[in-house]
Amino acid sequence: MDLLTLSFAVINGLLIGGIYGGVALGLSLIFGVMRVINFAHGSFLMLAMYCSYLLWASLGLHPYVSILATVPFLFIVGYFVQGVVISPLFKRERALVVEPTSALLLTAGVYLVVDNIVLMAFGPDVRSVAVDITYESIFVAGLPINLARLIGFLAAIVVAAALSFWLKHSEMGRAIRATAQNRDAASLSGINVQRVYNVTFGLGCAVLGLFGALLVPFFSITPNIGLSFGIKSFLVVVLGGIGSIPGSILGGLLLGVFESVASQFVTATSAAIFSFGLFIAILLLRPAGLMGRA
Amino acid sequence: MRHTLTLLLGGPLLVLALAIPLFVTDSYILHSIAMVLFFAYMASSWNFVCGYVGQLSLGHSAFAGVAGYVTVLLFTQLGVTPWLGMLAGGAFAALLSVPVGYATFRLKGPYFTLTTIAFAEILRIWLENTDDFLGIPLKGAQGLTVPPVGGSSFLAFQFDGKVPYYYIILAMLVGVMAATALMERSRLGFYLKAIRGDRDGAEALGVDPTRYSLTALAISAFLTGLGGAYYAQLFRYINPERNMGIDLSIDMAIMTIVGGQGTILGPTLGALLLHPIGEMVRATIGGSFLGLHLILYGLMLILAVIYFPKGIIVPLQRLLDGRARKSASRKAAAKTDALEGKGQ
Repeated sequence: MDLLTLSFAVINGLLIGGIYGGVALGLSLIFGVMRVINFAHGSFLMLAMYCSYLLWASLGLHPYVSILATVPFLFIVGYFVQGVVISPLFKRERALVVEPTSALLLTAGVYLVVDNIVLMAFGPDVRSVAVDITYESIFVAGLPINLARLIGFLAAIVVAAALSFWLKHSEMGRAIRATAQNRDAASLSGINVQRVYNVTFGLGCAVLGLFGALLVPFFSITPNIGLSFGIKSFLVVVLGGIGSIPGSILGGLLLGVFESVASQFVTATSAAIFSFGLFIAILLLRPAGLMGRA
Repeated sequence: MRHTLTLLLGGPLLVLALAIPLFVTDSYILHSIAMVLFFAYMASSWNFVCGYVGQLSLGHSAFAGVAGYVTVLLFTQLGVTPWLGMLAGGAFAALLSVPVGYATFRLKGPYFTLTTIAFAEILRIWLENTDDFLGIPLKGAQGLTVPPVGGSSFLAFQFDGKVPYYYIILAMLVGVMAATALMERSRLGFYLKAIRGDRDGAEALGVDPTRYSLTALAISAFLTGLGGAYYAQLFRYINPERNMGIDLSIDMAIMTIVGGQGTILGPTLGALLLHPIGEMVRATIGGSFLGLHLILYGLMLILAVIYFPKGIIVPLQRLLDGRARKSASRKAAAKTDALEGKGQ
């Protein structure tokens, strides 16, 4: 493989990797605060992509404009799912009946419901959005950089920074961090833990609303696209250390480059084997993640 | 109490199941009932390890698929009867499960679950993209068909009607339940329950969690493999998507969890409840709504986790226990009455 192909693969990997990191932010946040692995994480991203697609197909809205709708919509979906579906589990947990896999099962149920509602509504066909930005590239040192991917990459970094800032300095952010540290102590200090959970979950999903719309211009969608994104997000979070926001972006970059370079050697369809292989290798060698505490 | 329930429910159910082909002659309905039994069998095989160790594997379909491929390939390439092929496939799945289990059982909760998915997906994607492996024609995503031998042949595992297939899977289901019952009372069963309850505690008492989890997993993989081989033979067709996709793993897990994991009858109850719902939805309105039955599965899973975290077998058990206790106390009351009557 010549240097040009390699550097192209690396740049492409960095761009898509940043987006992976952005997609994984919500998973990391939710796990960090609630200790819940959201199995339906990828499904919510898929839902956001379909929303954006629908707005484009019916109203002709540019996917970037549809962000104004997808972000609040996904926030509401997340808020509702946590408030109605997941919160009974926490209420029960207070009575000391702790089932570690319950939350995973519950969100697996949500995954089935969401994926198949979309399948029912849209059918299994592959859909894509045709907008000009898909084909626009800028050249840096002779290498073409796809504009849509670059925007996604930059958005991931901006969102990660904004989220960190917001968590540090806002009233709600402080409440979220306090709840993550100690739920009962937070509750005793007058924090409404239920509301914090609802907001956290909603926020984690709202980020997906943004990236769903940003992905649509260069990513074809099918109803079952979610699971692979969900697993990749989990991998990203494990790589970067669970609960860490910069770790999430870093893990994303790592996965993106790895995947992009690996796919130079095999066909696109088998490239997924490498991500899964990396996932297993990381978990076996460093179960706490590259940057997590052992 | 648990065993009374197993017998109380299982006995009549078995008699009913044995008699079904006598009065159900419609081959579509018989096929559907055989599929219920198939899923009950698969869920029970899943339950054999996951239900007792308390870990959620979503990679079991790999064992089913691998064994199915071994069976079909042995038959089409070497002419080995599927009966032996099944055993070979099951053994192969058990063998495969050892390194997989060795790697994954150190992980907990979601880590374990996602790693099992990763293993199964690697295998599936590899199969889908491999037409020929060391001269073995795997035919990638297209899958393999089993050529019909014409007519019924016991050796070729091919039968004209659905009745033989029905009885085969019924026998397999009874077999897996018997195996589970034996395991529950054996040392292995107690160790597994100890590991589920408190892994570190069990280890401190000298139970090697990895070793016993692996033993159970190997048996479970073998059983799952037999089921996978049966599945391939029933349809005379196997492909990576259908026979080893994640959907099959999810079905096995959901049926067990809704029914009641870590019990002998739970997985079958789950299959009895869920599969007919899925089938009915598919047959009536499902044709135009792809995926509707999976929405219902998802909802049932959510409801079960919230309201019956130990499965629907628990309220059922309570109902029967309550009745048993009532009749016991009635008997006791009658006895005292009689005694008092004598005394007067």
